Order: sequence, then C-alpha cells, then structure tokens
Amino acid sequence: MGENKSDVLQGTLDLMVLKTLEAMSPLHGYGIARRIEQVSGDSLVLNQGTIYPALLRLEQRGWIKSEWGTSETNRRARFYSLSRIGRKKIAEETENWERIASTMARFLAPSN
Amino acid sequence: MDFLRILLSRIADLAGSQHRDHDLDDDIAAHLDLLIHEHMANGMSESAARAAAHREFGGVTQTRETYRIQRGFPRLEQFVRDLRYASRQLRRSPGFTITAVLTLTLGLGANIAVFSLLNCILLRPLPVPHVDELAVIRNQQNNQEHGPNYSFNAPFLRSLENHHDGFESIAGYSTRPFQVRSESSNVRVPGAMVSGQFFQMLETAPVLGRWLTQRDDREGQANVAVISDSYWKTRFHRDSAVIGQVLTIANKPFTIVGVMPSGFVGADPMYRPEIYVPVWAEPIIDAPYNAIESGYHSWWMRVIGRRAPGISLEKANAALGALSDGILDESIPDAKWIKDARTHHFRFAAEPGSRGYSYMRDTFQKPLEVVFVLCSAMLLLACLNLASLLMARAASRERELATRLAMGASRLRLVQQLLVESLLIAVLGTAAGLLAAPAVSRFLAAVLIGGNGAYVMLDTSLDMRVLAFVAATAMFSTLLVGLVPALRATSKGLNEQIKTGSQSVHSRQRRLLPRVLMSLQVALALILVFGAGLLATSLQRLHSIDLGFQQKNLVDLALEMNKQSRDGDALFAWYHQYLDALSRLPGVKAVAYVSYPPMSGSVWTETMQTNVSRGEQKIYMNSISAGYFRTLKIPMPAGRDFQWNDNTASGLKIILSERAAQKLFPGQSAIGQSVSMSKKNYQVVALVGDIHYASLRKEAPPEAYLCMTQNTDHKPNYEAIARIEGSAVPFASAARQLASTMAPEIPAPILTPMMTDIDGSIASERIMAMLAVFFAICALLVTAIGLYGTLAYSTARRTSEIGIRMALGARPTQVVGLVFRENAWIAIYGSLGGFVVAWFTAKALTSLLYSTSARDPWVLLASVGVLGFIASAASLVPAIRAARVDPSTALRAE
Repeated sequence: MGENKSDVLQGTLDLMVLKTLEAMSPLHGYGIARRIEQVSGDSLVLNQGTIYPALLRLEQRGWIKSEWGTSETNRRARFYSLSRIGRKKIAEETENWERIASTMARFLAPSN
Repeated sequence: MDFLRILLSRIADLAGSQHRDHDLDDDIAAHLDLLIHEHMANGMSESAARAAAHREFGGVTQTRETYRIQRGFPRLEQFVRDLRYASRQLRRSPGFTITAVLTLTLGLGANIAVFSLLNCILLRPLPVPHVDELAVIRNQQNNQEHGPNYSFNAPFLRSLENHHDGFESIAGYSTRPFQVRSESSNVRVPGAMVSGQFFQMLETAPVLGRWLTQRDDREGQANVAVISDSYWKTRFHRDSAVIGQVLTIANKPFTIVGVMPSGFVGADPMYRPEIYVPVWAEPIIDAPYNAIESGYHSWWMRVIGRRAPGISLEKANAALGALSDGILDESIPDAKWIKDARTHHFRFAAEPGSRGYSYMRDTFQKPLEVVFVLCSAMLLLACLNLASLLMARAASRERELATRLAMGASRLRLVQQLLVESLLIAVLGTAAGLLAAPAVSRFLAAVLIGGNGAYVMLDTSLDMRVLAFVAATAMFSTLLVGLVPALRATSKGLNEQIKTGSQSVHSRQRRLLPRVLMSLQVALALILVFGAGLLATSLQRLHSIDLGFQQKNLVDLALEMNKQSRDGDALFAWYHQYLDALSRLPGVKAVAYVSYPPMSGSVWTETMQTNVSRGEQKIYMNSISAGYFRTLKIPMPAGRDFQWNDNTASGLKIILSERAAQKLFPGQSAIGQSVSMSKKNYQVVALVGDIHYASLRKEAPPEAYLCMTQNTDHKPNYEAIARIEGSAVPFASAARQLASTMAPEIPAPILTPMMTDIDGSIASERIMAMLAVFFAICALLVTAIGLYGTLAYSTARRTSEIGIRMALGARPTQVVGLVFRENAWIAIYGSLGGFVVAWFTAKALTSLLYSTSARDPWVLLASVGVLGFIASAASLVPAIRAARVDPSTALRAE
C-alpha cells in the first residue's frame, strides 16, 4: 500500500489523465492512453497498462467517475469523466506542477 | 481527506474484490482489442497486430498486480490467502487437525476454566468506584496462637467509626441468611448487617430511594432496609412503589428505603446480600442471641475502610497502629484483657482491600495456585506436543519450501505462511476451549463450594481480565507451537535439500531438536503423573480415615426454631413430636438431634475440670438428644444414654468420649464421677467412642456431650440427624412436609447428606486430586499421541531405508528394535529429567499432602511404570508396522 518511488511520475500521469478528461470525456482507457501519446507528440511512450492503476487511484480519490459502455469494437469497457471535485482539483494540481517545473527550471538554468 | 476517501473505497472494494478483478479484465480486453483493431487497420496481419498490441500495453499481469495493490490491502489479502492455504492444508489431514485442535482445546480450556476461578476468588476487584482506596482492616497480636484476625467485635467497630484517622470512612458488616416472612412461613434470604458508613464508603448510588446512613445505625431509630436489584425484581417485580413498603424480617417490620443497582455486591465478592439492614438491628436478626450485648466477647464482624484522599496505605496503616492503644482502652472494660493484649502488642492494621474480604481466599489460594501450575504444565505439554507433530509434518514439506526459497520467496514470508497454520489451530482450539470453559469452571466452583452452603457465590463469568489471559495464552501457544517448526522447515537451502533427498538418513544433528522436544514432553508428563499420584494417594488416605462413626447414609436436617413462638419445655415437646414423626417415615432407621453435627464446620468448645484433672482441660462439646450414638453407630462401652425425660430437675448429666475421660480422669473410671464446667457440676453417665468432630486430618479431639433437654438456652436450634435407607429425596420432602404442618411459621428445613459435609471439609484436596488426575490422564494421552505421531512420520520417511535393510536380510524383530529404540531413548531421557525435577519440586506439595511423603517411592515408581508402559505401547505400533513393510514395494516406491 502507499506511494512508491515513482511518485513524481505518478503525479505527472495523474495530471495528464485529468487534463485529457477535461478536454474530452467520457473516454475509455485506450482513448486516454492514445490521447496522452498524441498530445505529447509521441515523445512519451507509455506502457499503456499503467493507465489503469492511475485511473483507479483517481477514482478512489473521487476526482473522476466511470460508467460502463461499449467500445468501438463492441466490447464492454469503462468510460471515464471528471467529477465535480476533479474539476476543482485540476487548477490546484496544475499550479502545483508549475511550481515544481519552475523550481526545477531555476535549478537547471545556471549550469548552462 | 483523500487518504480517508481512498481507505473507505478500499474497504468497500474488499467485499467485491472478485467482481472488480473481472471489471479490470474487461477493460484490458477492450483495450487490447482496440489496439489490435488499430494495427490491423494500418495493414498488419492479425498475429503481428496482437504482438504489437501486447508490446504497447505492457505486462498484463503486472498491471493486474499494481491495480490490486492500489485497490486493496495487500497484507490483508495475503493473510487471507495464507489462511485459505492453511485451512486447505488442515482439511487435507483431518486426523492431525482434530488431534491438534483437541489437544489445544484440552490445554487451553482447562487453563481458561482454572483462571476464571482464580480470577473470581483471588484477582477480581469489587465493582465500586476508586476501588484502590479500599483497605481491609485486621487486628493482630504477636503471639503464635492469634495470627492476623479479621473478626471484630461491636465495641471495636464503634470506636474505629469515631476515630478514623487516615480514613475517609470505616465500616463493619456481617452476612448471614435472614428469616423473611413470605406468605405463611419464613424463608431464608441472604442478608447483610452493615454499619453507618458502609454505603458511603462503597460510593455506589442507589437506583431508587436512599442508602443507609449513620443516622439509621443508632439505637432507637426506626427499622429500615435497603434491598438489592435482584430482590427488587424477584419479590417486587421492579415496582417503583417499593420504597416505603414493609418487609417482615425475623418477625419485625423493616421499611424499605432504597434499592441498590444490579452490579452492587457489598464488600464480600463471594456473597450476594439481597437485604441490607443497619448493624444496630443485630439483636433482632440474631434473636434470641444478641452479639451486640455480648460486647467484646463476640467477634462477628468484618471491617473495611476507604483511605482519605492522598493518604497512602502505609500512612493509613501507621495511623491505625497509633490509634490501637486508645481504642483498646475505650472499648474493652476488662483490665486483664487489655493488659494481656498490650503484652502481645495488640494493634489494628490495614492491608490492600480492592478485592474486598472473603474467607475463601485464604482457604483456596494455595490449592488454586497448585492447580494453575498443573494446568499450565499441561498447556505447555500440549504446545510442545503440537510443535513436534508440526515439525514432523513440515519435514515432508521441506523440499517444497526449499524450492520456493530458491525461487525467491523470502524466508519471512514462508515463516509467516507456516505460522498462519498454527495460528489457525490455536484459534480453533481457543474457541473450543472458550466454549467449554464456563461449564468446567462452574463445575469446579461447585466442587469447591461443596458443603459451604447455598449462599456462596462464585461468579466465574468471563471478564476483561480472563479475555486478556485467553488472548495471551492463545498467542503464546501459537508462537510456541508454530515458530520452531517454521524456522526449522525453512532453514535448509535447495542445494542441501536436493543433495540429501528424501531417502537419506537424517543427520543426528537434524534429529536432535525433535528428540529434545519429545523428551521434554515425557519429562513434563512424568511430573504431572507423579504429582497426580501423590495428590490422589493423599486423598485416598483421607477418605479411608475411620471417623469413629459410620458416615454413609446419614443426613442432617437443619431446623431453625429461633424465630417461632415456642420455648422451654413446650419447644422440647415439639422437638420430640417431630422426631417421632420423622422416625415413622419409610426408610428411616434411626434419628436423633444434635446441635453441631460432626464435620459440618462448626464446633463448640469449653474448658472443664475434675478433682483429678491437672487444671482446666479444653473439651469439644455437643448437645444431643437420646439415640444420638445409636444413630451414628458410635460405640458406648459403659453407662447409659440420655433419656427424653431427663430435665434440669433430674440432675445435670454428661457423656464423655474415651479421650476426654482419660484427660479428666486419668487412670480412673469416669462413670458416676462429677465434672465441673462454668461453675456447674455434671455427672458422667456414659463413655463413648472418639469421633472426628471438625477435621478429617486432625485426630479425634476429647469430646463431651450434654443432654438436649437440659439445655437452658432460649429457642435453641437443633439439627435432626437420620440414618436412612435408599434415596434422601423422598425423606427430604416428607420431612419438609411434616415441618410445615407441625410448625408452619419456620423456614423449610435444609437437608445435607453427611457425605457432602465430609467432602466439603476436604474440598480443596478433592479438587486438586481430581484435576491433577485429569491432567495426568490428558498428559499421558497427549504424550502417547506425540510419541506415536512423530515416530510414525519419521518411520514413513525411512520406508525405503527399511526396505533395503530387509532386502539385505534384516529380520522383522531387528527392524522393530531399530524403530523402537528411537523412542526408547526419548522415553528414558525424558523420564530421567522428569524424575530429577519431580524429586526436587515435590517438596512444594508437602503441606497439601496427608500422611503421604512428597517423595513416596511407590508413587514415583508407579508413575515411571505407567509412563513407560504408555510410551512403549505408543512406539510399538509404528515399529511393528515398519517391520511389515514389503521390501520390494518399499524400493519401488522411490
């Protein structure tokens, strides 16, 4: 139980999922994974399976919700969308991430 | 917040975990399908598309695993998995499981039962607030004869009430059955007389009305009573109009002023008063006796105090010590008595009183401790036994475990898994033990109370202390049973395991630990059997004592005539009529009256002298009717029995026992001579045989008998003692029926078989011997199972070796010898160890044994013999089975 050493990366993935769902929802796991790869310009190659624990984590926090639907190939799949809390959290998390990014940028700048 | 929400969602998921796994599988399938679809749309072949899809998705199994970890409680799930695994393992060998659980049930159940008893007699505090502040007060003198004395007289109590330095309050109380009017007759109700500060000291508010105060406990006050919750319920059906109602106690009206709550038990945890009245009412309750009037001669109360805030027990004790001298002067009007007390440093003292005071504690402390040690030994034996059985079982799984270790399982994990198995056994055993314990402890309590009457309450119900004890013993036994086998089973690497294989002979070192464990069991069993042998021998010797009368088929019928209206000759006439009616009942061989039946626990002593006795002699007294010696079958070598028409006018008569006659008339004939007692002269009319009056252990004391019809006391109580044929039940109901027609106002007479009194007088010896024998039988059984089980396992693993030996020409007897020897050494070492320990520890039993040496060689020899026999029997079966092995089958099996 609990968070492991890839905390930062997890946080990143969570935010990506949230942003994706903000842009378009409901979306199933495949859709989310594809969308993340597309937006990142294929510079990020996901192990697409890792999306599912992230989705579960967000659902457990109550930031996203899911409902059952049918995929394009006619299979049972869950479709995810943002919850009310999730919408509020996006701003918070974005700010959080920007602070980390700018801090890191400041650390990295002088060495150039 | 998030943490909480995640936790809740995880808990919610626990219920439907299977279901959630399916959901994920659906998601993954849909995902892969979409990927394959996409790749095929880009022109890949189906198989290439499938491969690419799996590559992109990553490990399906890893995803599932991470998902599950995120979803639930992996530790818990692991534990549940271990539990399922363990229960499967146990179900696969039901014989082992049943034996293991039963063994532990026996060990734990006995421990729980004995501990509940120990708890209620020795440990449980009174259910009152700030119970630590209570102190039991005693008086003591430094001479040998008076040990600490917990009895007080009324003048001492009254002085202590007034000078309670260091104490917030000091109260005295005395308990006994009260005679309460119920419809037409009186019934006995457990009651207590309590002094003014009693309720204030126990700080428990009444549920209705008020409690008794110091104002109620004064001469001339109206008679008032407080009743218990249970009496309120049974007699008044919880009617709130009970306050102000009148109870007729000992023929006098008492107004109910309060009702105590249900948990309240007063100050004696082993007595449940239903009615409380002020100490001042004692002359009414005890009429026609009057303990208050007897002043300092009558020691009839217990005293308890509550320490003032901030005063330690030492300080309170010192304060009491300082008060002692003044109180002595204030309350005792006898200068000689005071002087005598001073020379023996008379003082009051305080001791911890959170558990209240009960006389039973002194009586039963040592026996209970012995029993507790015995059953702890039994539990230890059971645990060792299970440990060795588990070890033998685990031996067959060593290879599997070594493989799992080699494949990366951590040792901790495997030990955990194996411990879950022993935990499961322990939990099952504990549950069964808990179920059985209440009945067992109730049974033990009944034996312990024995003849002490219906008013002793041993509340052996489970409380937090017992449950904590249960949890601790269960945990302890789990670890003891499981840890060693688990550590051992996982200690070997795969290499070593594969090298040695299953057909090899195990190294001596590997077989040492199980053998040590088994030897320890044998040693423990020997100690238990030896202890049981000693206690049983002692009990047997107690039982075979010649009491001087024939105790079989005798019953006592206690009559309470002290609250009815007849007295003097009229009362004796009634007694005579009742006796005649009793003697005409079917099955009655003989019947007579006695004031203190032998072995009933009460005695009466006097000092008397004659012209030839050297000063005053202490003689045990009794008051009897004609026919007493015939009824008890006590021989009368000289003289004549009393007659019903003997009265004060016909000259005072006395009958002496032979021992009393020797003391009072050394070397002379006593018949016709005169004895003086309390300034009166009695003529000796007969000599009778000596009998045990108060104790089985002590030899018969010098005894003298006075004639009932010459008794000048008011309304004396007598017990009819009858020799009957057949069951006592019809006699009891007929006697009660007779009493209710001949004297409807008296309480129903209480019938006690003489054997109950005698058994009751040796209750602690009986309970110790009974339990010790029970534990010893269990120990023998468990040891036999252990010896058999471990040998059977180890022999099964040597099947091929035995096959080879037989193929090479070993004869069956040699094989039997080979296998048998393994256990023979265990039995010999174990017995030696047990022998040495028993030899040195048996001394602890000395004070509990009657005419039996703690090192009785016959008992010791018999114990070793029994144990040797059991061990041989248990070891021969696997040995003979091994010798029946067909060499070709054994070799082919590998």
